[in-house]
Amino acid sequence: MMRPRKLRTKLTLWYVAVLAVLLVLYIGLVFIFQYTVLTRQIYHDEVQDVETVEGLLYFDQQDGLYLREDYHSHPRSHLLIDRLMEVRDLSGNVLYRSDTLHGASLGGPSLPEEGNGAFNERVVKMADGEHVFLISHLHGMQGRTVLIRLGYSLSLFRDRMEQFFGLLLVALPAGLLLAGFAGYAIAKRALKPMEEMAARAEQITASNLHDRLEVENEDDELGHMARVFNHLLERLEQAFEQLRRFTANAAHELRTPLTSLRAVGEVALQEASTLEDYREAIGSILEETGRLNQTIEGLLLLAKAESAQPGQAQTSFAVPDLVHEVLNLLGVLIEERNVTVFEEYEDDVSLIVHADRSLVRIALINVIHNAIKFSPQGSPLKITYSSDTSHAQVNIHDSGPGITPGNDQLVFERFFTGASPATSVGHGSGLGLSIAKLVLERERGSITFDSAVPHGAKCVIRLPLVVI
Amino acid sequence: MTYLRAKILIIEDDRKMAAALVAGMEPAGYEVATASSAEEGFFLVHTLQPDLLLLDLTLPHRNGLDILKQIRREGIDLLVLILTSHNTVEDRVEGLSSGADDYLGKPFSFPELLARVQALLRRTLPTPALSAIRIGDLEVDTKSKVARRAGARLELTPREFDLLLYLAENEGRTVSREMLAKDVWHESSRFTPIDNVIDVQVARLRKKLDDPYPTKLLQTIRGVGFSLRGPQ
Repeated sequence: MMRPRKLRTKLTLWYVAVLAVLLVLYIGLVFIFQYTVLTRQIYHDEVQDVETVEGLLYFDQQDGLYLREDYHSHPRSHLLIDRLMEVRDLSGNVLYRSDTLHGASLGGPSLPEEGNGAFNERVVKMADGEHVFLISHLHGMQGRTVLIRLGYSLSLFRDRMEQFFGLLLVALPAGLLLAGFAGYAIAKRALKPMEEMAARAEQITASNLHDRLEVENEDDELGHMARVFNHLLERLEQAFEQLRRFTANAAHELRTPLTSLRAVGEVALQEASTLEDYREAIGSILEETGRLNQTIEGLLLLAKAESAQPGQAQTSFAVPDLVHEVLNLLGVLIEERNVTVFEEYEDDVSLIVHADRSLVRIALINVIHNAIKFSPQGSPLKITYSSDTSHAQVNIHDSGPGITPGNDQLVFERFFTGASPATSVGHGSGLGLSIAKLVLERERGSITFDSAVPHGAKCVIRLPLVVI
Repeated sequence: MTYLRAKILIIEDDRKMAAALVAGMEPAGYEVATASSAEEGFFLVHTLQPDLLLLDLTLPHRNGLDILKQIRREGIDLLVLILTSHNTVEDRVEGLSSGADDYLGKPFSFPELLARVQALLRRTLPTPALSAIRIGDLEVDTKSKVARRAGARLELTPREFDLLLYLAENEGRTVSREMLAKDVWHESSRFTPIDNVIDVQVARLRKKLDDPYPTKLLQTIRGVGFSLRGPQ
């Protein structure tokens, strides 16, 4: 069997099927109810008729039974004319037969206890095949007891009922057809917003991800779906935008060193004459390759940190321990610059945090390395620790040129390396702070530069305290 | 420190890369053969019976890991060093668990490759750890952690001593900054800006090791790294 493919068709078919079942039940009940009511009515009429007839019957002197015919002059109903009647005595002899019977027997021989004390009812089949609804009653008159049988032919009634049933049945398919069309139209209308949404969604590609579905009614099911879909689009758009920016930046960042690689190679081949010149050129090329490699490693680390599930490799550790480890690693640079490190602890603070130690370490190395790089000879580097209810905080405050006002957000952008050449002492990859920011935010911490300090740069790192 | 001419097979589909590898390995005293496809490589593994295989993982038609697995299934006794640009931790684990002896991510520094190859080959022919290394008038005592030059003790910090020892162990060879970061500073991440730290540390070592003496032992090879070698 072929299953309907469209939701709309499916809905309509279900609707029509349910309606059909209900209508068939309804028709059946109406018919049975009507049939019963009318049959009761006939019974009632016949009982009244029997009572009328009882008053009209009389025996003459020869013991013949007759019906006073003068009553026909004002008949009560046309049914009376169709009245079938037979009267028997208790031994079963027929005393009277109405003309309408044309000599045929009405109901055959007497049954035992027939009509005794009550009106018996039954349906009998006449010799000509007609069905008759018949009631019997014993009646005492002029000192004798007779059995009166009175019946009406059911053929007319049954014809009527058949017509009625036929009419109901004819109306059924027509009604269903109409309902089907109406249902189909309603389904179409109900599903129309969905079709519009689908059409709209179909048009959304990577190039117009900023498009959104229209939400007509926020609260209904379709509105809910549209909102969910829009959220999905928003996340996709962000991811795409990030990827696009990243690719553009990466291409730019890779192109610059490639250009210089190429230039050095070309110049060396054309101009160099001594072995020393060649050594110089190749050395320069290798240095540049090293930097390129660093950039790629940084990009990979960013991609890895971005895609990693946060909280996978978290441990508890004391922030000052990690800071000391980093200071120790960078120790020679500190000595070289003659920088003095001062550490200050706020009283009684807990500095045990819960985070991925190796990632936080990379972040701290980048930040502290930066601070040392920008520190003038012989200047102090101040590191202070504090904490609040949820986070531990480390401030790293150098005495360098500080951050140009307005740049305190920009420094975290990928490939941002200070605008003025004076500050770019050892040209970095421009990824260090982006990596630090990404990593710390992944670990539910933060990194900012305090723009309120009068001189130097003050980096504020916050990490979530371990929950005991 | 080469014992026999060890045979090395390189399976690498990039011709330029393969040529560079051959050009670098042969002067180091190895017998080198190359194959540019898995099938050819597999054939050469059987006919040449090399001591060590440098295996690129991204080959046409067949993955390098398949070859490795087949070699291990057949029980061929062969050192395998994987060279690949797929160098996430997962790739590394997969490569090593497939039966590789070492794993080096591209781009690598050539000195590092040579050092790894030598280390692997040394594994099969173990040499007793030396208690002292002598290079010219420099003497590095590995046990007491003391270095002397022309009989005079050099006052070195622990880090400076480790650096000198590592350079001395690799006498005559160039060591790259990556190797130093990994083996002396034990930094696992490749993106840690400690090149500055290494340069400063080497400069300080040089001040103590070479500055007072007429013969300079510690050389900087620009763009490559550093090398400790005795007077020719």
